[in-house]
Amino acid sequence: MDSVEVFHQLPLTIDPSTKALASTDPSLAAEIEEVNKLHRALLSLDTPNQVPPPPAPVNPKRSVQIGKMRETGNASYKKGAYADAIKMYDLAIRMASERPTWEAAGLVREELGALYNNRAQANMGLQAWADGAVDAETSVEMKRLGNVKAWWRRGQCLKEMGRLEEAVDWVDTGLEWERAGPEKNGLGELEALARELRKALGRD
Amino acid sequence: MDNSTNSTNSSSSNSTYENWQAQQPPKSFWTNLTLPILYLTILIGSLYTFSTLYRKRQVNKAAKLESWFPPHQARDVYLSLLHLDPSEASEGADGEKKLSKVPDSVLKAALMRRALEDIQRIMQLRTSKPALQNLLQRGSVGDELWQRLLRAEKEMEEEVKDVVNEANAFAPNWGQTIFQSANEMHQNDLLRKSIADIQEKLAADKTWWEGRRAGMQAELLQDLDTDGKASETGQKKTGGSDDDAVLVESGGPAQDQGGAGAKKNTKGKKGGGA
Repeated sequence: MDSVEVFHQLPLTIDPSTKALASTDPSLAAEIEEVNKLHRALLSLDTPNQVPPPPAPVNPKRSVQIGKMRETGNASYKKGAYADAIKMYDLAIRMASERPTWEAAGLVREELGALYNNRAQANMGLQAWADGAVDAETSVEMKRLGNVKAWWRRGQCLKEMGRLEEAVDWVDTGLEWERAGPEKNGLGELEALARELRKALGRD
Repeated sequence: MDNSTNSTNSSSSNSTYENWQAQQPPKSFWTNLTLPILYLTILIGSLYTFSTLYRKRQVNKAAKLESWFPPHQARDVYLSLLHLDPSEASEGADGEKKLSKVPDSVLKAALMRRALEDIQRIMQLRTSKPALQNLLQRGSVGDELWQRLLRAEKEMEEEVKDVVNEANAFAPNWGQTIFQSANEMHQNDLLRKSIADIQEKLAADKTWWEGRRAGMQAELLQDLDTDGKASETGQKKTGGSDDDAVLVESGGPAQDQGGAGAKKNTKGKKGGGA
């Protein structure tokens, strides 16, 4: 890096009406695009000075909305309207991932983990095993510990698709993680699935 | 010459004293000092030049070291914006009013991008430092690399201070939270990337599964058609409901490659479990 006092003057232009940046240098395009995106997000802030607030207390409006959508989705799922439930979860997932990026990442992780898990369940209801498997994997990626259901769901989906080897690997990894986790005692289902898979493999 | 030597040999020290006095008239105190002073100046001067040259060379060498990071693009964008002449930069639309200054919100966005980049760099430095230290102790890498790391570290310190100052200039106390926000931005970016990576697989998985299911259904229908001639495995497997049949059948081909190994594995594991 150059010394602290030096910088490179870049060829930038500003659109006077939209205030969007642009540059004649194509190598800057990605960076400029990010700045513009962030700028738009900043403009929607209603804090004093339009400066992003510290990440700790999050604006509860969005959380409430996401919670509502999830409840609606859950209700649809209970009635057996899986497609409706998936639609609702989709909306909630989009809402959660469109949180301003400076808000707490841990919260996004938690919300998305639960939502993807629910969507996986609804997809399993529709016997859309591929969708369910991917959603459950995403949920596990968000939350590895204390997420026995998601581990089980992906294992089940893989089993249904006939990818037994993969399923055994997956379930074993899940068991390893969860034995150290807070849901140590809720492992019965996962262990049963592991036994079942072993049996199926052994018989082949 | 001969004469004088003779005389010195023969006579006492008295005559030499006279000789000396005759040849060299007494000099002043300062003229006597010129020689040592000259000596000292030359000595000190040469030492000084040597040290300055040496130091300059060292500095040059350090400056020539490749920097640890690539150019800081976000920082360049921010500083360019600060030094931008807005009326010139916004001349794209002639008829419209020109900006009198670069809007603060744009500057803030650029500053946040800069802080984000800083966070990423600091994290990289933190993770690579112990590893590099280890390598250095073992002698696997040269001192040059270590020097580069140290310099990058020092530069990042300055950079962070600068960003905090700039942030405080925009809003009071923003400097205290801008890096917290930037850290969350970094985490969020990582999070979203991992989600996108996983969800990307969905399309391929789905087409694979559709194809697989269609194939299996066709197979099943064939099996039903040619019920009498059904293969032995087919008969074994179609024990339960239709769903189950699909299930078990689906497991068949996939197991062909690694069946034997899997069996051994499962046996071993079962033994361990029981």
